[in-house]
Amino acid sequence: MQPGQKIEFVKLSDDSLMRLVVLRRSEALSVLYDRYSRLVFSLALNVVGDRETAEEVAQDVFYQVWENAATYRPDQAKLTTWMTSITRYRAIDVLRKRRSRPEKDSVEWAETALHTTPRPEEGPEELADLLLQQERVRLAVNSLSSDQQAVLALAYFQGLSHSQIAGQLNQPLGTVKTRIRLAMQRLRELLIEEP
Amino acid sequence: MQEHVNDLIPGYALNCLDEAEANKVAEHLAICELCRDDLRAYQMLVDQLPLASPDTIPSARVKQGLMDRIQAGASKPAPEKLSVWERFGNIFRAASPAWGLASLGLVVVLLVSNLLLWRQYTQLQAAPKSDALQVVNLAGTDIAPDATGMVIISLDGEHGTLVVDRLPSLNPELQYQLWLIKDGERTNGGVFSVGPSGYASLWVGAPIPLGDYDAFGITIEPAGGSPGPTGDKVLGG
Repeated sequence: MQPGQKIEFVKLSDDSLMRLVVLRRSEALSVLYDRYSRLVFSLALNVVGDRETAEEVAQDVFYQVWENAATYRPDQAKLTTWMTSITRYRAIDVLRKRRSRPEKDSVEWAETALHTTPRPEEGPEELADLLLQQERVRLAVNSLSSDQQAVLALAYFQGLSHSQIAGQLNQPLGTVKTRIRLAMQRLRELLIEEP
Repeated sequence: MQEHVNDLIPGYALNCLDEAEANKVAEHLAICELCRDDLRAYQMLVDQLPLASPDTIPSARVKQGLMDRIQAGASKPAPEKLSVWERFGNIFRAASPAWGLASLGLVVVLLVSNLLLWRQYTQLQAAPKSDALQVVNLAGTDIAPDATGMVIISLDGEHGTLVVDRLPSLNPELQYQLWLIKDGERTNGGVFSVGPSGYASLWVGAPIPLGDYDAFGITIEPAGGSPGPTGDKVLGG
């Protein structure tokens, strides 16, 4: 790049943007926010159950990205994995401190169809890959029985243990364990390429 | 050789096992490469589950608030340019309200940690002595929320093995250091580095039986270790 040449942040890869975040370029964080705020916020909302708290969590997550960008290791995990891990951890922490979740919003998985999600007009390949991966994961989750989806959602989004799920659904503990195990095994078959 | 724990690994990856089962899996993972591979596959799966959240868009004020927040702290130096020692010094030099809040947060974390340790201690006191290995699970902090670890203490309590997973790789000038904590005093338990997967194990010896320590902690230190903890804590329990 020539001196004085304008950086087209929106076309940069996640790794390049993160390097710029380390250098305190707020434009880079802004682009990352535009790319992944929907993912982060959707996860937070599914965990905590209300928009206001989910927005606080989402903002905290991106602030952590800003503050801790130097600790991110692209060879260890994709940026989306790193950010969603932070999101889930923080959101479940908020949920546990609050000790309750609004009843009106049930925990749920996305419908399969992604036709409402706008395809990126510009941006790196990894963004298009993310949308394709989203579609694969949603199809896989939708192939589970509704009972399996329900127990998996409570374990993943609310961080509940087997016994807590059994208590909440008034189901035998063994049934809950089996449903979760079978659901995970099925998803592994569909989504994980074995070496 | 213990029985494999394949049926429990999906629940372990989801972190939804009850405590006894989680301990059983952790104990087995320390000695079984096959089950660790199984766990890695399920962890890759768990990493993908957020993609199946229903799509929702946050309001515009979230981004505005974020950008205002980082502008407000714009004068703060980039964290990667400070050494562990400089950051340690800054903690004591700074007296801004932000540090006040951070200190308050730290006090809360310490209080909670102490409560958990106290509960663990009373449970250990109440538990009948058995001939099983004792396992102390370590939980990741905000610095490394995905990290897990455990200290497996030998039957005679004289030594043990530390096993960690999903810790971030560090720059060559830094290493992780294990601290053995008793009555507030921290004894060096050894330094180690992790590979690309974040996994490492370390044999642990100590001047007194490991089972007599109140807790264990792992911090980031300059390569070779420090006489006392100076860097960020990444695991504790």
